[in-house]
Amino acid sequence: MTPPPVALAASESKPQLGFWRGLRGVYDIALEGMVWSRRSLLMAVMLSLPVVFALLYRYALVARLPAKIRGFDLYGVVIALFYIRNALPLAALFYAVSLIADEVEDKTITYFFTRPISRASILFGKFAAYVVTTLTLTLPATVVTFFLLTTARGTAEISAAAPHLFRDMAVIALTLIVYGALFMLFGVALRRPVIPGLLFLFVWELLALLPGYLPRFTLTAYLRSLVPHRPPDEGLAEVFGQTLPLGLSLGTLGILLAVFLGLAYGIFSRRDYVLEQ
Amino acid sequence: MPIYEQTYRRYEARGPLRAVRFWPITREALRLVLAKRAFLGLLLVGWVPMLARVVQIYIVTRFPEANRVLPIDGKLFGEFLNQQLGLSVLLMIFGGAGLIANDLRTGAILVYLSRPLTRRDYVIGKLSVLLLLNLSVTLAPALLLYVVGLGLAPEQYLKLDLWWLAPAIVTQSLVMSFSLSLLSLAVSSLSRSARVAGLGFFGLFAGLEMARGVLRSVFDAKWATLLSLQADIRAIGATLFGITMRRWEQVPVLDAGLVLLALAGVCLALLRSRVRAVEIVR
Amino acid sequence: MSGAALAAPIEFERASRWYGPVIALNDVTARIEPGVIGLLGPNGAGKSTFLKLAAGQLRPSQGEVRVLGRPGWGSPEIFHRVGLCPEADAFWDGFTGIQFLTSLLRLTGFDDAECRRRAEAALDLVDLLPAKDRKIGGYSKGMRQRVKLAQALAHEPEVLLLDEPLTGMDPVNRRRVTDLVKRLGKAGRTVLVSSHILYEVESMTRRVLLINNGRILAEGDVREIRDLMDEHPHTVSLRAKDPRAIARAVVGQPHVISLAFGDEGEWLTVQTAKPDEFYGALLEIADSAGVREMYSPDEDLQSVFKYLVPK
Repeated sequence: MTPPPVALAASESKPQLGFWRGLRGVYDIALEGMVWSRRSLLMAVMLSLPVVFALLYRYALVARLPAKIRGFDLYGVVIALFYIRNALPLAALFYAVSLIADEVEDKTITYFFTRPISRASILFGKFAAYVVTTLTLTLPATVVTFFLLTTARGTAEISAAAPHLFRDMAVIALTLIVYGALFMLFGVALRRPVIPGLLFLFVWELLALLPGYLPRFTLTAYLRSLVPHRPPDEGLAEVFGQTLPLGLSLGTLGILLAVFLGLAYGIFSRRDYVLEQ
Repeated sequence: MPIYEQTYRRYEARGPLRAVRFWPITREALRLVLAKRAFLGLLLVGWVPMLARVVQIYIVTRFPEANRVLPIDGKLFGEFLNQQLGLSVLLMIFGGAGLIANDLRTGAILVYLSRPLTRRDYVIGKLSVLLLLNLSVTLAPALLLYVVGLGLAPEQYLKLDLWWLAPAIVTQSLVMSFSLSLLSLAVSSLSRSARVAGLGFFGLFAGLEMARGVLRSVFDAKWATLLSLQADIRAIGATLFGITMRRWEQVPVLDAGLVLLALAGVCLALLRSRVRAVEIVR
Repeated sequence: MSGAALAAPIEFERASRWYGPVIALNDVTARIEPGVIGLLGPNGAGKSTFLKLAAGQLRPSQGEVRVLGRPGWGSPEIFHRVGLCPEADAFWDGFTGIQFLTSLLRLTGFDDAECRRRAEAALDLVDLLPAKDRKIGGYSKGMRQRVKLAQALAHEPEVLLLDEPLTGMDPVNRRRVTDLVKRLGKAGRTVLVSSHILYEVESMTRRVLLINNGRILAEGDVREIRDLMDEHPHTVSLRAKDPRAIARAVVGQPHVISLAFGDEGEWLTVQTAKPDEFYGALLEIADSAGVREMYSPDEDLQSVFKYLVPK
């Protein structure tokens, strides 16, 4: 005999988990996978290269270089040229483009989708894990590089330079967050996001070096404007491009961040993922 | 009898192993890679510089004065191969990244190694794919360009003192192809994701270039040029074809060769440790 | 009585799903009631699509899928009461068994102590408690399957969706899981088991949903389905002391299509279009003919499947 149908009582249905609680749960799972991975080891090596340079400078080259090349100026080159222009966007591409794609490829996304959490919690939980992982890999290296370079010829310049360190760390965080949001959007919107990501980084962002209004169409122009480190000599000045107003840079980056995150959420929340059999 | 003895039994293979065992791996991998239209497009684009050089040779044969602006000599082939380096890197990212990574992810490596194949056959099979892809945009167009040069401009190229040109083309193409292919395969073996492996390969390439750039420009460390794979490969080509390298790219050819050999050694060691049927999880 | 009060735990209302030009599920209407139901069909029949629609993993291209009264797609709150054991062998391999379960239970809203308790209970249910602190990457195939099942059970859902749940399991654990599924069904839970292995499903339930080419072929008790299949006469095999007496008694009846005697003389195989009438007639003569054994070789799932699913 067929059992009688179940009468559905509204009070039986619990609501989905709150956004922050869901985010925290996803973040814990994602962080565990991200931190102890080969990918992070490779990133740690790349993001720690400035420490190697700093050690080289301090213990092998400082006596041979002219005194006008200050350690703080070299630190400025590391921040603006190495981190903000190259290494951090590459790190963002490396991680953020795969945030959801890896879960889909590995078919573990099913476990997130079959929990009473919102898609927003899943997406932003993964994003939060990415931000924490990359900051953990970058900020200590930045601090160590700062101290190694600025104290290479004595401690005189360290107190004047210290506020720059805190500002630079904030800009590093903003760089990782903004590029991460953009590449996360690429990752959810495009089937093959790596090529567009590389093209964006190494072709589109070159617009920042051009005069006029064109740099305003890049992310790097705004980010580098937030760290106006003076270059050690005129020869390098050209790679720094224009310096945009602080308010404009922050405002634009804020709006772009909201747009990238909003679009990424909009696409992710509507898509049903057909996992490969 | 229904229940078998569990004592040791000698394994007696049915027949001898085939000599060229890796070929099915290469063939299948090539078939999968070439099935992607975007990738085929990239390969075709790789021949465009060769066509441009053919036009250059033709123009100079028709208008000899153009030789001052667009010189056609032995160096043309070296410069052509240098130009193809960027394309080779792209081919490695899009064609090579998933070769071992996908097998590790899907467990297909177990299927391969449960055939009468050794790990060496597997690696040679996969490496052959990358070599063939690389050589199709380096050696093949360069040799064809040479033949075209012989045909269109025999007075320029059909000379005894240019006997070294063909061997130089082959050598430089092989150096370029082997270096990039081994590195790409080694990086592919480090990950289970083709995407991560591709980005990792690019990151390694670009990261080393960045390191070279900073060390040279800020610390004037000439030895830092050795970090650049591009510069090392070009140094070999510069010696073979008599090309003058740019100041920031200059590196002793012997040192460059040693770096490339050391890199090959590291890559082979990595492949040896990563290409296994079973991964032990502790 | 209102429609909402009679809602089945899982309802498909003219649901279709296509992937480009391929129709995976075609205008399917079904109600999955509490108990154990086997979702059967050959490879490519649409079982996975059906299950994924029921699990809210896919959005129907057309029609509606409702789970516990809510749309399957876009209602994550249903997963307090729904558990899915997916087919794919997919894990975060760096996690241990207990970590895997506690992490997922946290996402279901339990506190740490409760997560731990439930995780251990679920692992114990699938006989994985001794291996709870080992990394899943080091588990055997059967262990991986069991931990997948454990994560589906740990929050004690009312609706359980199992996609090929016995894959890779040894006979002892198969039996364990089969018994567990039957117990859950008897307890009033809704358990939808998708499989293409008929004897596996038959060991769990007599209620099936047969699907092929994206359409439902049949739904209900295996026996009831079989009875409705007039174009395939039922075969009944009997062993009796006097099979010829039985043959004489039934040969004149219009529903008896054929009779065949076995080689050893004690067996009689009857093909009948109306098995109930045949059994009725048999009752009158069973004692005198000395019927010792009787079975119907084509009243099982295999036969139903064979008849309904063309080759």
